[in-house]
Order: sequence, then structure tokens, then C-alpha cells
Amino acid sequence: MERLYAQVAERPDATAIVYGDERIAWRELVERIERLAHGLADRGIGAGDAVGLVLRDDPWFVTCFHAVTALGAIVVPVNPAFKQTEIAFSFHSAGVKGIVSDERTAGVCERIAAGFDAPVEVITTTAAHGQALTLEELVERSPGQHLAPRDPDEVFVYQFSSGSTGRPKRVPRTHGQIAAEADLYGALEIGPDDRVFSAIPFFHTWGMGACLVAPSTWGATVVILEDPNPFLLKRHRALELIERERCTVFPGVPFHYQLMAEAPGSADLSSLRLCFSAGTALARETFDAFGEKFGVLVRQLYGSTETGFMAANLDADPVATFASVGPGIGDVDFEILDDDGTTLPAGIDGEVTVASPAMTAGYSDLPDVNAQAFAGGRFQTGDLGQLDAEGRLTITGRKKLLIEVGGYKVDPIEVADVVTAHPKVGEAVVVGVPGKGPGEELVKAVIVPNAELEERELIDFCRERLANYKVPQVIELREEIPKSPLGKILRKYLV
Amino acid sequence: MSAAAEVEQFILEELMAGSAVVAIDHDEDLLGTGVIDSHGLLQLVTLLRERYGIEVSEEALTPENFQTIAAIDAFVQRERGSA
Repeated sequence: MERLYAQVAERPDATAIVYGDERIAWRELVERIERLAHGLADRGIGAGDAVGLVLRDDPWFVTCFHAVTALGAIVVPVNPAFKQTEIAFSFHSAGVKGIVSDERTAGVCERIAAGFDAPVEVITTTAAHGQALTLEELVERSPGQHLAPRDPDEVFVYQFSSGSTGRPKRVPRTHGQIAAEADLYGALEIGPDDRVFSAIPFFHTWGMGACLVAPSTWGATVVILEDPNPFLLKRHRALELIERERCTVFPGVPFHYQLMAEAPGSADLSSLRLCFSAGTALARETFDAFGEKFGVLVRQLYGSTETGFMAANLDADPVATFASVGPGIGDVDFEILDDDGTTLPAGIDGEVTVASPAMTAGYSDLPDVNAQAFAGGRFQTGDLGQLDAEGRLTITGRKKLLIEVGGYKVDPIEVADVVTAHPKVGEAVVVGVPGKGPGEELVKAVIVPNAELEERELIDFCRERLANYKVPQVIELREEIPKSPLGKILRKYLV
Repeated sequence: MSAAAEVEQFILEELMAGSAVVAIDHDEDLLGTGVIDSHGLLQLVTLLRERYGIEVSEEALTPENFQTIAAIDAFVQRERGSA
């Protein structure tokens, strides 16, 4: 809250949030946060209590996020598009004491709350489902209370990270770690003159860091794209908002940049000084297409749920180094390790490990997983990459996705790169699917063709460029690759 | 079967598979509730092409045309009328 109070002291009437036609000044935002915090405290929410947020990105989300954390309670933001069982898993894992929902998710949240042994109160933004209590009422009837700084070791947020254990792992990060991430964003020189365009969800670590924490720390305005999904239908609204509000910073994912580059018509995006792409690798075609259409170059940025923001390509001329996510920011320290844990020199691929003041100390309740994933106080990201002589990091693959074929390990990224190089292939993902024997896998390529494509010609193309065992044995043609809201490929739907 | 009924059936069977929902109000917001996401939208576009011969243009990809079953139905009727 100290940083929010600083914004009120320095620019009380400047705009903190733009949402549709609504403009909320820093003074007004902080007053709402103080009132809501008081109201939540009256309902029994206090330090150490987990509070689930099942909200779309709007001013309520921003208000709740700050009110909950200012009380020393732990915010547990989840994807409101998740199914009931997915949200329930997260909330049971976190042991939530309260849930904040909107009119769209209130019913689901009530059912989840009923599954707890202890009472869990569901508070909705507005009285759409006849709930006894709404955020509107809490804000209206509660007096404001000054919110004191929290201890850096108190837990700020629980988020969830997928992979390796079959169920999402709970990732706690403290006030001190979130403040450290906010400081890292200072390297982007975000300030009161900036207007950050927010199209990535606040519940995700990328949206939380870039669109909630960084702007409130550095005094930038957040321009929220209303209901950004499906982005294919919202790209014109996105272009209109960036142009109208003269947005200067756009944290996005490759999918955003691709769809905007392909949109009919154009827009004046000359106000954008920083476009950052994260979540998955940015294709050269997308980088070129967006740059050619709008005259703005997209830079790659690297982060994770466990660490928050780690690296960004801030090169004066990012064209030559477009594939790199840049060097570690501030005290973020990368090391590339081989399978034996030996540090590799520049130019050699290995697993990316990181130490950062912003990273979690480990997953909740998973000591065995932590012993490996956080060995030596460094997070083993599971990403493959290499550093160059200047310390820039380039991500080259993902360690955990290797496909086992007849005793060989196949890197699906390597195969996908070859497949994608075929002139009739628009997009491709390579996955492992179960083979005949135990532990045996087949290489499967899921293809989005951009012209009529015969399976045979693709196989022949691969055979010319790959060892036989790497050539896909299964080819499936699709119209689209399924992706998460942040553009990550949903591999489970491909196998 | 009307276009509205057919679209409703498609959404229930393809986009909401596994849910307990058996009917959708034709004025219910399908976008805000996440029933139609990016992937679902492309499936729907494919359905309109294969079932009704409608090629959805880039310009027609707007929230107004896909917000509700009623809106999709109106879009189908307009496109068929202009064909």
C-alpha cells in the first residue's frame, strides 16, 4: 500500500484505471481499497487468511486485489473460465476463508463454498444472485481505514503452476518477493506518463506483475480491455483502445500480436514505446508482420509463476536479437546447467536455472519436489536455453517435453521447427502419444496447414532433415492449435 | 431444426461437453461467460461454413455477431438472405 499512498500524495487526480468510459483517479481507487479492506476485516478476513478471486479483469479486481493483500490476507486469483472442479481444487489447496466472485461466477462459487467443512463466505461484486453481501455494499457502508505496511515475509499471493506432479502446484510468494518484482519492472522505466494496455489476465502471473503490480508501483495508468476473450473478436476493440488512450506499454502474448497483425484495416499505434511478448516463443513471422503493419517492434520477455518477471530484451535495436528474452534484470541471475548440474559456458544449450529476489521459496507442501526444483536455492525452470557472451538468454526448448522413442529422446521443438519450415505448414506442434510398448511413445505432429497438404510430402520433407526416429509417425491436420488464454499450447488436447 | 437450435446443440455437445447444462437461454452471453473461447469460435465458424455454406469474413468476426445464440441465428439469417 505504501506505493499506492505515494501515488495519491504525488498525483491524486491522475487516472489510475481506464475501463470503458470509466476513469478512476488514484485518490478514488485508494479510498475504495481502504473502505473495502475495512469491510472485509469486519467480515473476519485478516492476516494469513486466503481469499479466492474469481473475477474478470475490471476495477473490482484491482480494488479487491489490493484490499485483500493490504490486510495481510493472501489473494488467490484463479481463471474465471475454469470449470468448478479446477477452481475447487485451487481453493481447497489454499484453504480459502472467503471467495469474491462476480455475477457470472457466483453460482459456481456458492457450490464450491458449500463443499468446505468450515464456513466460506462468497461475496459478489453486485447483487445478481440474491447474495446477502456485495462488494458494493461493503464499500458504501464501510469507513476507510489507513492501511499499514505489511511484513515482507507475509504471504501475498497463491498462484498455481502446472507440470511434473500431474496436479497444479501451489506457489506462495511473499510481500517482499512481490515488492522485489515491482522493482525489477523499474528497469522498463515505467512511470506516471505511461499508459499500460492490459489484455492479459490479472489472475496470471504475467498480468498480475505487468498490469497490476508494476503500474501501481510506478504510477502508470492501466487501460483495461473489457472481456478480452476470444481475442479474435476483440482485436479491433484492442486497436481502438490503444489508439484512443495513446497507450505506451503493451504486455502481450504472441497470439495477440499475430491476430492484430492479421486484422483487416489498420490503427495508429505510434504511441507504443514498449511491446513485450511472453508466455511462449514469439515467431519471427509475427515479429515481422506486427512490425511492418504498425511500425512497432515486439520484444520478448521471460517470466514464470514461480519467479515472476526475470528478463526482457531491452536492446536498442531488437531486430538482430529478436529471438532473445534479454539478460536477467537487476539481481536476477541465470545459469545454464547440463544434466550433471555443471555450469555451461555461453553458446551451449542446457537447462535454465535462476536465482531471483522475486522468486518463491518453494511449492507449498511438496518437499520432495522442492528438493529438486529449487536445488541449491536456484529454480530449475525446465526450460532449455543458452546465454550469449553478453549474458542475453535465448530459450531454445523445454526439458520436460522430451518424447521417448525406442530409447532415443526426441525434442518436439526441434521436430516442430522442421515441420513448420515446410511451405504449406502454417503452424505445428509436436507431441508424444502412447506407442505400443510400455513407456514407448510415437511422435505426433499436429498441423495447421496454409495450403492443401499431403501427408506424404510432409513425411518426405522431414525425412530429408531429421533422423528417422524423429520423423512424425502420426500427422493430424487441424484448423487451430488449442491454446490457453495466454497463448500457451494446450498439449493435453493434442495427444 | 432451426439454426438457433442447431447452434445450441453444437455448443452443448462440443463447447460445453461434460457440463451438466442441458439448455441455453438464447439471450445468454456466450462470450463474457467464456462458453465461446478462441478455439470454440473457430469451431463455430467451421460449423457455419460446413452446415450453411457461410464464409465468415474478417469483418464479420465481431462480438455483436457471436454474443448470444440469438445473435448467431440473426447473423446466419442475414448471411443466407444475402447469398
